[in-house]
Amino acid sequence: MKSGSNLEKVLKGGHFAVTCECGPPRGPNPDDLIGKIDHIKGFVDAANVTDNPTASVRMSSVGASAILFRHGVEPVMQMVTRDRNRIAAQGDVLGAHALGIRNMLCLSGDHQTFGNHPHAKNVFDIDSMQLLHMVRTLRDEGKMDNGDPIDGKMGMFLGAAANPFADPFEFRVIRLAKKIAAGADFIQTQCIYDMDRFRKFMEMARDMGLHEKCFILAGVTPLKSLGMARYMNRSVPGMSIPQRILERMKGVPREAQAKEGIRILLEQIEELQQTEGVAGIHVMAIEWEEKIPEIMERARLIPRPQVD
Amino acid sequence: MTVRSSTQQHKPLPNCSAACPVHTDTRGYAEAVSEGDYERALELLLQANPFPSVCGRICHHPCEKECRRKEVDAPVNLRMLKRFVVENTKDYRRERRRRIEPFRGKKVAIIGSGPAGLTAAHDLALLGYHTVVFEQDSRLGGMLAHAIPRYRLPLHALNEDIDDILALGVEAKTGCRVGRDISLEEIRESHDAVVVAIGLSESVTLPIPGSTSEGVLPGITFLWDVANGHPPPLGERVLIIGGGNVAVDAARTARRLGVSRVFLACLESREEMPAWQWEIQEAQEEGIEILNSWGPKAILSRKGKVAGLELKHCTRVFDEKGRFNPQYDEARTMTLDVDQIVMTIGQRADLSCFNERELAMERGRLMCDPHTLSTSEPGVFACGEVMTGPGSAIQAIANGHQAARAVHHYLQTGERLVLPREEISHLGPLPPRVASLARPMPRKDAALSDPQERTRNFSEIESPFNEQQALEEARRCLACAMGAQLESSQACAGCLTCARVCPFGVATVERTAAMPAEECLACGLCAAECPAAGVALKRFGTNQMKKTLREMLASTHASHILRPFVIAYCCLYETTGRQYLQPQSREEIESSGILRVMVPCVGRLSSLDLVEPFELGADCVAVIACKEGACLYPGSEELLQRRVAHAQKFLEEIGLKWASLQYHRTQENAEASWPAIWKEVRRQIAPESGKEAFK
Amino acid sequence: MIVADQKPLHEVKEFVETHQKILVAGCGTCVTVCLSGGAAEARLLASGLRIAFQRAHHPKTIEDDTVLRQCDEEFVLPLLEKVKGEGFDAVITLACGVGVNFLADRLGAIPVFPGVNTTFYGAVMEPGLWAEMCSGCGECITHLTGGICPIARCSKRLFNGPCGGSEKGRCEVDPLNTPCVWQLIYDRMKELGRLHELRNIIPAKNWRPALDGGVRHTVRERIYRLEYKNR
Ligand SMILES: Cc1cc2nc3c(=O)[nH]c(=O)nc-3n(C[C@H](O)[C@H](O)[C@H](O)COP(=O)(O)OP(=O)(O)OC[C@H]3O[C@@H](n4cnc5c(N)ncnc54)[C@H](O)[C@@H]3O)c2cc1C
Ligand code: SF4
Ligand code: SF4
Repeated sequence: MKSGSNLEKVLKGGHFAVTCECGPPRGPNPDDLIGKIDHIKGFVDAANVTDNPTASVRMSSVGASAILFRHGVEPVMQMVTRDRNRIAAQGDVLGAHALGIRNMLCLSGDHQTFGNHPHAKNVFDIDSMQLLHMVRTLRDEGKMDNGDPIDGKMGMFLGAAANPFADPFEFRVIRLAKKIAAGADFIQTQCIYDMDRFRKFMEMARDMGLHEKCFILAGVTPLKSLGMARYMNRSVPGMSIPQRILERMKGVPREAQAKEGIRILLEQIEELQQTEGVAGIHVMAIEWEEKIPEIMERARLIPRPQVD
Repeated sequence: MTVRSSTQQHKPLPNCSAACPVHTDTRGYAEAVSEGDYERALELLLQANPFPSVCGRICHHPCEKECRRKEVDAPVNLRMLKRFVVENTKDYRRERRRRIEPFRGKKVAIIGSGPAGLTAAHDLALLGYHTVVFEQDSRLGGMLAHAIPRYRLPLHALNEDIDDILALGVEAKTGCRVGRDISLEEIRESHDAVVVAIGLSESVTLPIPGSTSEGVLPGITFLWDVANGHPPPLGERVLIIGGGNVAVDAARTARRLGVSRVFLACLESREEMPAWQWEIQEAQEEGIEILNSWGPKAILSRKGKVAGLELKHCTRVFDEKGRFNPQYDEARTMTLDVDQIVMTIGQRADLSCFNERELAMERGRLMCDPHTLSTSEPGVFACGEVMTGPGSAIQAIANGHQAARAVHHYLQTGERLVLPREEISHLGPLPPRVASLARPMPRKDAALSDPQERTRNFSEIESPFNEQQALEEARRCLACAMGAQLESSQACAGCLTCARVCPFGVATVERTAAMPAEECLACGLCAAECPAAGVALKRFGTNQMKKTLREMLASTHASHILRPFVIAYCCLYETTGRQYLQPQSREEIESSGILRVMVPCVGRLSSLDLVEPFELGADCVAVIACKEGACLYPGSEELLQRRVAHAQKFLEEIGLKWASLQYHRTQENAEASWPAIWKEVRRQIAPESGKEAFK
Repeated sequence: MIVADQKPLHEVKEFVETHQKILVAGCGTCVTVCLSGGAAEARLLASGLRIAFQRAHHPKTIEDDTVLRQCDEEFVLPLLEKVKGEGFDAVITLACGVGVNFLADRLGAIPVFPGVNTTFYGAVMEPGLWAEMCSGCGECITHLTGGICPIARCSKRLFNGPCGGSEKGRCEVDPLNTPCVWQLIYDRMKELGRLHELRNIIPAKNWRPALDGGVRHTVRERIYRLEYKNR
């Protein structure tokens, strides 16, 4: 065991894992967060806590992750290199560990020009790959990036993101391999709509044996409406929604679109469960956490396994 | 306001000037015409040639043959522009005349008043010598007055030049034949130097059987008599022997005398004929029947009078070495019945006026040295055709200039001047790559009267250019070598902007920029865009323009100017007349509130040019470009529009209204469009005072 | 080459509001080439300022002068002499930030103001378009990336491949104007037959030679402080 986290145990136990996303609040008050925790508690194996998502200021992911931990949902603490250099990053990892956090997702982060402080200076001292490598060194070798020893031992289940839909496509699997080589124990992908392309991606990953070197959690996001589908297709870089799905959303009246979105999601989950090398799903129900129980129930993914 | 460019010739010469025997600043006068400054054009003409009126009509224009515009479409019609200038500056020319008081105390005699003699006389008079011209005839001008037919060169056109020359104080003794009325010896006694410029006034005759028959007319005598109102009686059929210009003139003259069938027989094939091609063509239009490759064998006569001509076929005129050496097929002959035969196979000097004691001769020719123009006698010089052999008027003029130099040198030093060998470097042909990018503009040719009409009398057949034609033709001149030049290699940052904006691929950068003069078409775009302000334009340098602008403004009372005060940069190529090309009066500027700045293509205005007038007190700057798609320079319109937009933004930041800098383009020519545009400019800049009077 | 953009005129005007005799100093090298601070721009700015102050009824004396480079003592000297000798009480320089500093160090009590915003080290992509190509990090890594710099040309300075926003070869931060440098690197390495090298993980960079290590100097010992020359 690298961390002893629940997520690690579920995956290593051969179960189809479920994670979801839990965005921290836009203020100092934890109440809303606790509300979200209540929605998802018992329905997922762990929940990602985003780190100033889309470069907009939120409660820190270290702090919010600690709250999740305290309230009985295992956090996957996200950490972006945009806002911290290697000094801050290592310090935060150590602090997070002390607060009981055992999963983290290493990211570069969205560019600050997309966020609410576009005039900020970014850091990007290291990239996500280098962050993975650094935290693994802390964990496995007990050394900081500069080689200095740390006092005591540290466990952390290391995750990384993969986007099978960005370009250059052929490089995507190579990049995945690099992340695994740098230290990723699990991967969460960008949300998948284009199943054909994802299947191709998985095929390439399997060819390289990557599915055996780490756990791949397929990202999914329920579509709330046709408008949202169109928006994501048009404006989110590296995301494409197949015409077939757009047509399906278009085919139902507006009030029924959310329902249709969930139906599509359930079909997808079913297919993903059949896909070799997919070890679980990561449900990104952005500001729609309350739907998690329903989705899990309808996908017959509850109760969640208890592994010891 | 029109900005005058320098009149100085830049080396190397443009091909046109280089080809001109007197190196007229051809490019300069074409430019002056395009700027509406006909007076400056005339000054340039007169600087090189005292016979611009004559040359505007009959010059064989070697300049045009070499004009670099021919690589684009056709040469600029430089001769017609010259004619236009002379005909539109008559008053000015009279007024500028001034008499030169001979101040050198020396006297020069000129024998012969052809173009060579009169040019020498002109120059020597200007140099301060007392100059006397001896002419055997009653009229001055030599062949110009007597041989060149009036339908090509009317007398009044010749007299304009001659009057001008005489006005300097040149003394003319007409009806005074040297050797008859006065001897060379006598002349030498009373003069410090003598110039023999007696031309070639006798026609050569052919020693063939029957050549003494009545009705065989020497060409020069024939033309001379006609010119002087004594045409010989002619029959129905006249034949001219010879293939040169004199032959063609004789033929066309005979036609005008009512001869119904005029033949011209010559040894040469059509292509080999020495006459100018256009002369031959015009002759054919007039019904002259040309018999090529036929040589005279014998003149047939009846009772001592010409009855016809027997011709033999000429198989070859020139031998392998290109020498005149005709061969005949004696078996192939033909006979033509004719009433008169005019012999125009060449001319020679009439040297009977001198005796061997006075001046050395050699095989019927005057002994003279072409390098010094001197004869066997010290102080006696020779020039013109008697010296050079047959040629053209402008060559005789060039030779006359040289003679004046030689005489002047002799009179100042007592020595002979060895004329320096002329080494003229010219630009060479316009590279095809550049030519292919230049915008073609059809050449304007002179209008000739209808052949049926024109053979009825001796009135001039060619109509002059009107002003619009002249302006349009003048702007066809490529202003060779008057374009861009890097001011100093120091300023150049090698930024490549010039190379990037040059529409003709002329500007290049290798360490520093280079705009080879022999390629540049003078659009000025590089100068306008150069970020180092390091490219100068020889034509319309904007620095010079600013100076003039300042002066203009200084001479008007700012408080008297109608506000808003507009500086209008107008493309001068849009004008069809002088109206807007002439300098504005102070009153006009003040009362109209508009100062025109005439620019040869407004595309050359830099951002600074667009902004600076505000410093000088303008309320508004208007750029008035040509009709859409009419610009001579590809890409210039777009660059200018972008530059204007850039300057507008800049001015807006200063706090000026958007309308302070306006861009307009004409719909029609300048005269039809500009007043409305100016009105519109004023309306836009001062919407609140839109009703104000506009003149 | 150093690329710079002109500051808005009103901003520059405010700098010198309280001054009377102002010199606009152009620079004949980089800023000339990028069309922001050469002699032509210096003249234009000087003229613009004169007009602006004239219109505000506070006419000022504003001249311009351009030297070959404002980052060398020898070239700057005549400028300094002019400023001090002719009584200018402020200087606006159109040189890059280097020129501003270089003059400021030498102008004593006379203030110098920037007329341009110095932006980057770049190259001309097309006439009129410049793009950043190097960020002067002090330790070049382009031997690893086919000669294409991910530090200068990747919005997120990624060392190990494109982020998830790379789409159709464009960078998500400014798809219209910016290619994804990792696409460029990928294509180039493919062309070079070195694609396999991109599997290697480039470790965290040493930023010490960059500005992050503190203000930088470079000494060329072979001509630095020559003894024979008494300064
Ligand atoms: C028919 C014809 C057509 C031509 N057409 C053209 C043309 O279109 N374009 C062109 O460029 N050129 C033309 N030329 C050529 C041009 O006219 C001559 O090149 C030019 O006139 C030569 O000038 P000149 O001064 O040497 O001699 P001339 O013009 O021949 O002048 C010599 C003068 O000397 C006088 N003279 C001679 N002997 C004496 C003496 N003893 N005492 C006093 N005076 C004397 C003569 O009367 C005459 O006036 C033409 C010539 C001819 C004959
Ligand atoms: S284009 Fe003008 S300058 Fe050039 S050769 Fe012709 S007439 Fe002369
Ligand atoms: S841009 Fe125009 S002026 Fe400059 S070199 Fe080219 S043709 Fe000549």
